[in-house]
Amino acid sequence: MIALVRYAGATMLHSQRYLAPVLLFMAVVGVSSSNDSGPLPPTYGLCAGALFVCATWLTIALISVEDPAHRAITVVSAGRSSRVLLASVVVAVISCLILTVVGVVLPLLVGTHTVGAADLALGVEAELTGACAGIAIGLLCSRLVIRRRGYALIAAVGLVLVALLVRGLPPINVLLRVTANATKSADVLGPAFGLLAIGAVILVVASLATQFITTHRD
Amino acid sequence: MLRLEAVSKRYVRGGWVLRNVDLEIPGGEVVAIAGANGSGKSTLLRLLCALSRPTSGRVSGQPEVIGYVPDHFPPNERLSAMEYLTHLGRIRGLSTSGAVARTDQLLDRLALVGGKRSQLRTLSKGNAQKVALAQALLVAPQLLVLDEPWSGLDASAHGTLAAIIAEVAGSGGLVVFTDHRESISGVHASHTYVIDAGWLSRRAMVTAREPATEVVLMQPSGRRPPDVDWYGVAGVLEVTGRAETITIRVTREGSDAVLRTALEHGWSVTSLGPIAECTR
Repeated sequence: MIALVRYAGATMLHSQRYLAPVLLFMAVVGVSSSNDSGPLPPTYGLCAGALFVCATWLTIALISVEDPAHRAITVVSAGRSSRVLLASVVVAVISCLILTVVGVVLPLLVGTHTVGAADLALGVEAELTGACAGIAIGLLCSRLVIRRRGYALIAAVGLVLVALLVRGLPPINVLLRVTANATKSADVLGPAFGLLAIGAVILVVASLATQFITTHRD
Repeated sequence: MLRLEAVSKRYVRGGWVLRNVDLEIPGGEVVAIAGANGSGKSTLLRLLCALSRPTSGRVSGQPEVIGYVPDHFPPNERLSAMEYLTHLGRIRGLSTSGAVARTDQLLDRLALVGGKRSQLRTLSKGNAQKVALAQALLVAPQLLVLDEPWSGLDASAHGTLAAIIAEVAGSGGLVVFTDHRESISGVHASHTYVIDAGWLSRRAMVTAREPATEVVLMQPSGRRPPDVDWYGVAGVLEVTGRAETITIRVTREGSDAVLRTALEHGWSVTSLGPIAECTR
């Protein structure tokens, strides 16, 4: 399994397709939080939204970088296609963990805030929620599920917009609303944790669905 | 024993690709599957490797270690041949040093041109195909599945490929390969099957026992023999011999084309004559 993760990570790093979503995330976080001196929950909510979009993009890029013929070889070498998919998910999660650290720390460096442990915890919870939901959509819109790139792009944009804009739809829309109106992080830690749990469940379900669809279509 | 029982396959969109295929392959056999493009060869191979599931019927008896060489290996990876194969060796359970040593050995044997350390995407098609072949051999396969191996590889590597196929079969493994030319299948395989629009049939041995012609060619001294893909000439059954003198066995209908190709490439004909029925 470690070998598969290393291989998936190496192909992603070499392809440099991760650069665009990563730079977009950095830019959004940097620009939106510079000279910001207000309460932290809305800032972290925004960062979580940015990570959500970038995680979707990153996951699609990560999976489509491997050509179908290469993937077939990897699957035969690993013995099972589920392990290959799991390795891709692990690489996506690791990448998002790194981005989460950036997304939690960068606003503190470029803005002026008084920081408590609850703020940091909320930042991590919110951004991981965005990451989980983003990876889930990325998997469902990857080539493993939608072969044609045009349709995949339309589906991804559609799902991202639905998750961001439909009122009361957990986890992303609810997270944005909850954090936007909060002034103290401690007040929304509980709801944010619940949303993270929902995000994690969505990620697991999306992974299983992706695996089911690829094996039954091929 | 690898076994396909009443296997049929259709994809979500489209008609039947394979229909009611029964196939049994015992260990040590080399099986060729001949058929035109789009006849269902690649799908059959994907089923053997468990890359694909049959719509109905059953595939059983797949061994643990399978080597799969797809018909095209798009060299779009930025990893070098060495890095790529080391990764795949580790995925197959080798240690890093074990994978590096094995990769080195395989690439030397296959005579990879263009550098073990240069990116895969800079390799020519023939050399990329050598990398595709090498990955299937990192751990000695119990089932080696090759999709159109003769057309992707340079003619100079055909001898090595034949030796590798014989080695895998010799150690009790199974080899299944496809080719769109029946002539080549007959030479390297112990059994040939023909697939046509999804229907699989054992090739009648009668067609293989046609009278043949043996052509002996020589290269005028001091000249390097040109690289000719003899198996690409219709009707060629077998090519043997050292670099300057080669013997080609060809079906009677194909002999004129062989002579034309030989003369075009500067070969000189030493002898030409009918031979007894070709045994395979």
